[in-house]
Amino acid sequence: MADQATGAPAAGVPDHVPASRVFDFDIYGDPRLTDDLHDSYATLHDDAPDIFYSPRNGGHWMVTRFDDISEVVKDFEHFSVREMQIPRIENPPVFIPLSLDPPANMPYRQALMPFFSPKAVAAMEPKIRAFASEIIDDIEAKGACDFVNEVAARFPVSVFMELMGMPLDRLRDFRALADEYFNARSNEEIVALGGRIVGLMTELVELRREKPADDLISKMVQFQVDGRPITLGELQSMLFVMFLGGMDTVTNVAAYTYRHLATDKVLQQKLAADPAAIPKFVEEGIRAFGVINTPRIVTKDCERLGVQFREGDMVLCILPLGSRDGRRFDAPNSFNIERQSLTSLTFSTGPHLCLGHNLARLEIRILTEEWMKRMPTFSLKPGVRHVSRAGAVMAIESLPIIWTPKAA
Amino acid sequence: MPVITFISADGGVRAVEAVIGHSVMETAVRNGVPGIEAQCGGAMVCGTCHAHLEADFFDLAPAMEEGERLLLDCGDHQGPTSRLTCQVRVTEALDGAIFRTPPSQP
Repeated sequence: MADQATGAPAAGVPDHVPASRVFDFDIYGDPRLTDDLHDSYATLHDDAPDIFYSPRNGGHWMVTRFDDISEVVKDFEHFSVREMQIPRIENPPVFIPLSLDPPANMPYRQALMPFFSPKAVAAMEPKIRAFASEIIDDIEAKGACDFVNEVAARFPVSVFMELMGMPLDRLRDFRALADEYFNARSNEEIVALGGRIVGLMTELVELRREKPADDLISKMVQFQVDGRPITLGELQSMLFVMFLGGMDTVTNVAAYTYRHLATDKVLQQKLAADPAAIPKFVEEGIRAFGVINTPRIVTKDCERLGVQFREGDMVLCILPLGSRDGRRFDAPNSFNIERQSLTSLTFSTGPHLCLGHNLARLEIRILTEEWMKRMPTFSLKPGVRHVSRAGAVMAIESLPIIWTPKAA
Repeated sequence: MPVITFISADGGVRAVEAVIGHSVMETAVRNGVPGIEAQCGGAMVCGTCHAHLEADFFDLAPAMEEGERLLLDCGDHQGPTSRLTCQVRVTEALDGAIFRTPPSQP
């Protein structure tokens, strides 16, 4: 991948970091990253210490193993979510509940959890299936498409809008806004687009206060936090996190998974012949192609996991590498739907375990069920690079695929 | 050390020695007991460490708090003695307790 290495090396490494722990890695564009993003990222398991310090991007720790990451994200006393930007910035955004350590996160989390339970999410199935079907309607006769832009980036937007009770006649506008947001590079753009998205959500909040409907926003405006009504600021923050959490995550896990699927016709045929294998396929895609790295800030000088941390150190947990840890998963970089089912770290763990994990699984399963019913075997368009963006979220920019349309 | 027995939905039985002060969930995970997933590692946000505590022992387990009830209500295969095992601390009183794990989590 190596388009631009953006982080200049820091002048020095802090004195609490031993030389043996220093390893140069640029999370925003390291030269070792290729179009096979996850496989190339996983070479860190061979080359770098399990926990290492990169001098890039202001200097930060990287944690790459399942057990170590699990420890860090459960230990909120030493590793807090209150700051999550690498490099650190003044006035970091406060996401609710994502930026709150326990116990402060719990009232918000508990208010939301019933709407993201397996039962609640299962109730959305018919609508989600209809969205998947429409997407396939639009591409099946074409013989070629960009899976990212025409399928994977479109699908979770409809699901989000449905969940939030956003009028679907605004799908095109909202989709365009979401795309702009996730493709924005400069801080100004991100802030401006973020503001527009929050503005849209706020309009909806105001609408649902006046005229409640049967959707999540209508229920959220009624939330009580510690016995008092939730404030607009809290609602805006929660809605923005859900926007961030539910879109390009699903888009990119699906895209990387289908990129793999495009190279394995036998697997495609198996999934078409035996839809009962689809949940295992989805689970393996989630394991192999996580796209989120989760940051923490060290709250106090401490020794943990054999490492000396200092207050204010940033620690980035590379969840996709936790999910590819060979100490837990046999042949971790092989895509194997028959492997023993063990939970992976793609959704993290601890108090900030992804709230939407049931919905994410459902979305990718339903997309695949509909795809397998209707689409013939497909392959990657030859001679095309698959450029990824790396960072806190890993994203593939386009995925051109081709197939021979079924006879009408 | 108290002995806690886990019975899975397909009838498999595992009796394990538990450490006082650990949660029942930790006991299961440390001993590789199937049927307890514990996706959130005990943070009480996932509901995947659910099990049914045999009736005789239900009142001997530490009382349930509101957050646990809320999460149990979100899950499947619920019964009158359902508990989130990450919220049940092992005590001497639980020596001989039997936990039945559900067919799926949560």
